[in-house]
Amino acid sequence: MNDCSFHSLLSRRRLLSATSALAFAALVATANATPALAEDGAQDGGDVVFLIDSLGDTWIPNNIAISSFQGHIWGHVTDKLLYVDADGKVSPWIAERWEQNDNATEFTLHLKSGVTFSDGSPLDAAAVVANLDIWYGGRKSEGINPIGLFPKTYDHAEAVDATTVKVFFKKPTLGFIPTLGYHGSILISPKTIASPASAQADLSKTSGSGPYVVESWKEGDYVKLAKRKDYNWGPAAVGQTGPAHLDTITYKLVSEPSLRVAAVQSGQADVAYNASPQELESLKSEGLTVATPRYLGFVNGWAINTKLAPYDDVKVRQALQASINRQEIIDTVYTPDWKLATSFIQSNVPGATDQSALLAYNPEKAEKLLDEAGWKKGMGGVRVKDGKPLSLTLNSNPYLATSKSIDELIAQQLGKIGWKVDIRAYDVVTYGQKVKYGGAGVPAYEVTRSFIDAGTVASILTNANNGENWFALDESDKTLNDLRDKIAGAGTIEARKPLLDELQRYVLDQGYFIPRTQIVQRIYVQSPKLKGEVYNGVAYASYYTATKSE
Amino acid sequence: MSKAYFNYAGKRLLQAIVVILLSYVFTFVVVSILPGDPITNVLNNPQNGFTPDEIKEIIAAQGLDKPIPVQLWNAFSGFVTGDLGLSMRTNRPVATLIGEVLPSTLVLASAGLAVALLLAAIIAYGTQFLPRRYGQGLLRGFPSLFLSVPNFVIGLVLIHLFGFQLGVFRVIEPDSFWATLFAAIALGIPISAQIAEVLIANLDHESGQDYAAVARGRGLGQMRLFVMHLLKPSSLPVITVVALTIGELLGGSLITETVFGRNGLGSLVQRSVSTQDLPVLQAVVSLAAVVFVVVNLIADLTYPLLDPRVKLLGTQQRRPTTADDSSLPISKAVTP
Repeated sequence: MNDCSFHSLLSRRRLLSATSALAFAALVATANATPALAEDGAQDGGDVVFLIDSLGDTWIPNNIAISSFQGHIWGHVTDKLLYVDADGKVSPWIAERWEQNDNATEFTLHLKSGVTFSDGSPLDAAAVVANLDIWYGGRKSEGINPIGLFPKTYDHAEAVDATTVKVFFKKPTLGFIPTLGYHGSILISPKTIASPASAQADLSKTSGSGPYVVESWKEGDYVKLAKRKDYNWGPAAVGQTGPAHLDTITYKLVSEPSLRVAAVQSGQADVAYNASPQELESLKSEGLTVATPRYLGFVNGWAINTKLAPYDDVKVRQALQASINRQEIIDTVYTPDWKLATSFIQSNVPGATDQSALLAYNPEKAEKLLDEAGWKKGMGGVRVKDGKPLSLTLNSNPYLATSKSIDELIAQQLGKIGWKVDIRAYDVVTYGQKVKYGGAGVPAYEVTRSFIDAGTVASILTNANNGENWFALDESDKTLNDLRDKIAGAGTIEARKPLLDELQRYVLDQGYFIPRTQIVQRIYVQSPKLKGEVYNGVAYASYYTATKSE
Repeated sequence: MSKAYFNYAGKRLLQAIVVILLSYVFTFVVVSILPGDPITNVLNNPQNGFTPDEIKEIIAAQGLDKPIPVQLWNAFSGFVTGDLGLSMRTNRPVATLIGEVLPSTLVLASAGLAVALLLAAIIAYGTQFLPRRYGQGLLRGFPSLFLSVPNFVIGLVLIHLFGFQLGVFRVIEPDSFWATLFAAIALGIPISAQIAEVLIANLDHESGQDYAAVARGRGLGQMRLFVMHLLKPSSLPVITVVALTIGELLGGSLITETVFGRNGLGSLVQRSVSTQDLPVLQAVVSLAAVVFVVVNLIADLTYPLLDPRVKLLGTQQRRPTTADDSSLPISKAVTP
């Protein structure tokens, strides 16, 4: 390790002097001309150091929380049945093709042959069935959880032959196919699945079929991945199926955000994850690559508690919808990399429609609606009805660093219309404990959530089938229930499309959901030497296709 | 060694064991009555979409549905027999988790202590022998300065200067020799302040004694006088301060580890506190209690051996904190 620091001392000095910089440029040029090239012209070899702020909690594949940091590592160590790109397009991966019956209750998956896990066992139909079973059921008494978002309608799966799997559902489950591309649905060797939780928690004992294997790791410190030379089954959608180019990828935990960025600036690391949005413009001007991919999911916004006065009044909710100047949020807190919300789902989700008209900033309309609802301006500009002030309590989301700044800005915007806004900030544990959808003191629950298929949206808006009942409506809104049932029962994407459009318009018009901005939750600051990475549907960077120049 | 000494040692040992056990129970109760734990926290997050039945089943599998006294008894009986259990957050054995991070912290803490002792000795020596015009008085201000600058600030300055500007070490290799040295400097600076204060006070006292004047009169060199005669009597109270500093070394290493990106006990505690991973917290707090108690026990048991005039009063015995403490008469009879 000491000679590495010595090396970096040398290279740093070399960079500092102008003459040596020329020599350095010449070196780069010759390095590019060397014949160590892969078939597609990309350069092979190189090591990447990725600085991250957390490596998450457990490595038991099923127990990972859906928005966890482990997704970065699993994305390289394991494969999925299907590939979902940043636009939500589903394409073949380990499953070469698939069929479904008319009412989406039976699916047949045809697998690639010759795929193996890193422990040598084949990725065949039996292995897929073992994975599907554990995704649905887990082994709860042993501390192995099911995947929470795996369809609860799953009945069973059977291996027809070595490369054919049939999957059966109790009810129509159109979302099954896209779910297979979700980052929770990773294929793990049956040997690993059969091992106890404490063995699965040891990352080095877990075998996947991905382009990289875990070379070494240390809890809370680093994970080092090494290339698998016999890998030959990458997703065609990324334009490469053979082995990866980079030799190793090291994920190293550095909890100080400024140190992560400074390490990339000084050439000690290649990628810094989660930099602050305010820094991005100056980093770009320094020549660093900045990526702010959006994930497929809900926009950042509020689910309104319709049981809590005064938000039981549609006029107050509509006034709230019109009182927020969304462009100002992007101009003040973010950069142009962030996009205006056009619905309550991100605009790259298949099925998302443009509802911008319902989200326009219109203070006059808001004032008029509040006047009609009986909220009159009183002392200090705060509106009052029956002696009570028009109040809104915001619980800033501790998972999103910019959440509190946005809350403060919105408090100013709402203050002009006549709201009295209180902002509360809790730590992660307390937040999880106190702040819930439709909780007693929670008029607006801040949503940040990814999903793959828009069909799951409808099922969480009400309380049917263990739904999350986001707006505390229970079963009281007939229109919403009707749309929910039609969407859940739809047999094809085409039949579902107009229903989804209607759902989006209705939810926004009723002021049930108040969008703030489209969400970028993963920010990558990267050395310009590293190129060709791919961002998938949940905005995780994959370096499978990437190359690094010296 | 007398019978009285063994009596005293036995009492102190018993007291130490009681302190460790009480700290175990106390931690358990405090963390248990706090809301939340890593498992329920993950399960209740609506993003993970678990049904209420699944949540109930998973919580029961972890034994978290049992009354707190039962949970305490299960954990405690494991602890007494040396089984530290599984971490709730990672599902890995607590002993493994601690075993992975302990060496890094031990290296950092001992290097930090070495830096602190060296710095304190240099400053103390300077306050006695540096000519006034070269800033002898200024040196006396150093301990207060060291105490008032937070160690994360020192750490960040060192990283930016030596890590990024000069490239002496790489932040991604925090366990390398140079990175460890700079982390030890960041950790050692505030700790050296207290040691230096005590050492300076004692040196001031000792150098005013007759024997020092006699030694000077006989033409003894400054370095020789300092090392051979003044340092030993002045160092005795320093042992007490160092023993008390162990706690600070552990606490300070948390911040230093975070700043330097080291994966040590401190960062393990930080991750475990933020998720309320009870078995890990339990083990670490008990470990810290053991270290603290053992270090103090050693200090207590060493004192009577080093200085026979220290009375063996069992649990009532207080160690002197400075040389001016009236319970410890200072020797005036040392001859050079």
